[in-house]
Amino acid sequence: MKFDNQKWLANNTFHHGEFWDILKLVKEKEKKGLKISLCIPTLNEEKTIGKEVLILKSELMERYPLIDEFAVIDSGSEDKTLEVAKNYGADVYLASEILTSVGDKKGKGENLWKAIHQLKGDIICYVDADISNIHPRFVYGLVAPLIQKEEVKYVKAFYDRPLNYSSGLRASGGGRVTEILIRPLFSLFYPELTNIIQPLSGEYAARREVLEAIPFPIGYGVETSHLLDLYEKFGLSAFAQTDLDRRVHRNQSTNALGKMSFGILQTFLNRLQSQNKIDRILSIETFYRRFEVENGSYNQLVQEVVEEERPPMIEVEEYLNKTDRNLN
Amino acid sequence: MLETTSKEFDLGHLLKDLPQKIKKLEKFKKLVLTDAVLLGEIPSPTFNEEKRIRLAVDRFRENGLESPEIDESGNASAVIPGSEGRSSILVMAHADSVFDLNTPHVLNVGSDGITGPSIADNAIGMATAVALPKLLELLDVKLKDDIIILTNTKSLGKGNLDGARYFLETKQRPIRAGICVEGADQGRLSYSGLGTLRGEISLEIPGNYDWNRFGSSGAVSQLTRIINQLLEIPIPKEPKTKIILGGLHCGSTFNKTPKRGILRFEITSEGDDVITELKQKVEDLCEQCSLENGTKVELNVVATRPNCGIAFTHPLVKATRAVMSELGVTPKVNPSTGDLNVLIEAGYPGVTLGLTTAENIGEENETIHLESLCSGIAQLITLLQAIDQGICES
Repeated sequence: MKFDNQKWLANNTFHHGEFWDILKLVKEKEKKGLKISLCIPTLNEEKTIGKEVLILKSELMERYPLIDEFAVIDSGSEDKTLEVAKNYGADVYLASEILTSVGDKKGKGENLWKAIHQLKGDIICYVDADISNIHPRFVYGLVAPLIQKEEVKYVKAFYDRPLNYSSGLRASGGGRVTEILIRPLFSLFYPELTNIIQPLSGEYAARREVLEAIPFPIGYGVETSHLLDLYEKFGLSAFAQTDLDRRVHRNQSTNALGKMSFGILQTFLNRLQSQNKIDRILSIETFYRRFEVENGSYNQLVQEVVEEERPPMIEVEEYLNKTDRNLN
Repeated sequence: MLETTSKEFDLGHLLKDLPQKIKKLEKFKKLVLTDAVLLGEIPSPTFNEEKRIRLAVDRFRENGLESPEIDESGNASAVIPGSEGRSSILVMAHADSVFDLNTPHVLNVGSDGITGPSIADNAIGMATAVALPKLLELLDVKLKDDIIILTNTKSLGKGNLDGARYFLETKQRPIRAGICVEGADQGRLSYSGLGTLRGEISLEIPGNYDWNRFGSSGAVSQLTRIINQLLEIPIPKEPKTKIILGGLHCGSTFNKTPKRGILRFEITSEGDDVITELKQKVEDLCEQCSLENGTKVELNVVATRPNCGIAFTHPLVKATRAVMSELGVTPKVNPSTGDLNVLIEAGYPGVTLGLTTAENIGEENETIHLESLCSGIAQLITLLQAIDQGICES
């Protein structure tokens, strides 16, 4: 049967305004006996973390007890990120000190993965730390479809994305990697996934049982791999997306986005192979190469970007012990 | 400690309770800070306060107040019912700010302070007023009087205090006294309103202007001449008087002679007659410049306030000083040019208080310091209790 894009969009795409009644959400959550954990992965985010913790904790834990646990999981910040987050009442963890038996790898995906072990919620909501216009909608807009619709397992944010410049807000922009890398790739190999409007957004919420069942790239590929792995397991009906209106964040240079795309591509190619979308791929390089010009001569800059992956948390014995389950 | 008249016992009791209040408020201050950030990130220039006011109304409801209202002037108000409710105490915080809609209203929250447009003037003041019902409940403070909380519009600049004025002209409840809450600076004590005139001198060179005429020049030169003449107007030492040239808008590039410009100024004086005389002089100067140069120079008065005030020895002022003294804060006595003027003009005793220390007020990096915020809020609540216990009538 042909997939009905319009129907999926109509049923699974929301606007945060639909969930303005937070008290109602709290009651529904309590009735269903759900616990919700919020995780903010950080690395040197002292400028924005204070506001995120202040507003989200005050509004969604103290005024309306929608979230039950609020954790900042840090990759080893050298600025005052941890001090500021702690001052405003977040539980603060170093990723390197969680699940020490598996060692420590550096990357946002590592923090997200270790959050599954550290946090107790039935639903885990991830919010990036660099949002300068943080608002409670960034959380309730994502967890609400999970509270209200049992068939939904993973909710992704999308935005009208202005970029933050010193001179003010630009009317549009952003999402460059989405539009020139991810969307063409999805169109080629996973056309149904093109319905996800912003596949790379760093804000999403998911049920524990799906998060623990998928591997986590520790670097740039984590958001992409989530979509590909969950799509393969559950199909598009497990996804929903919520329009959170506007997200003001730092702009990244084209060079940084090139490196990011290189990491995402590694994850993507691996999935193409493991999901039998292509017969085989030749061995792929892990060195990202680009050029810079200095005094009229061209220099090649070579940087290694290895997209390591963590296994599904459900395969980690310590996690199973913690959750009173056995490795079968 | 300052002498505290016949209500010494009541006030002494309240003063003794200050450290305990501050300690409790430390636990609840995030409630205020959150609202300050959420309110502060909504641009709210004078005449465009609707969105910030809408959030204030939502908060009134969420903080347990029934039937908050938005009046025809756009002010939001709500009542915390007292146990007796025979009279009311008005707590006012203006909702407008000097920053326009295009200024990015992004606030940064650090461990010691919050920085961003309008946080001190007056997002933190407004947030404190809005949080009052919750704070009183958490501190277990019960008052006999009703408390009317007003977040008023059109306070600054051309707003000319119109929001507060409208509210007081149309109010339906008896008011005993009022407190105007400003974010900064802690220690601020205003109990009088300073006579003020704010004006704009607009200059326009007509299309048929004779550029060959002797002394002909563009708007920049002509406004400069007006400024020089303004500065030559003698200012009396008594009553104290001041002219501030606050803004000059003229021209847009390097190589085009501008045809129009605006000079903004403010005259403040403890003598209303002096303001009238100075206004006449400015008008004469405009007319002279128009006729001599063949340009159109006009004075547009955008805001005026007469001198008004209650005495330094008024029990409300004494009580305020006593609270500050107990907190170890030296009062900085300054007449107000803000909402206090309409309150006192309307016949009610009132003071303006600042909540915390701040810097860069009016700049995009406006910053409040958090260390003194709780004592600033405790000061406000203690004063409300003192008014409730009859300090104004003692």
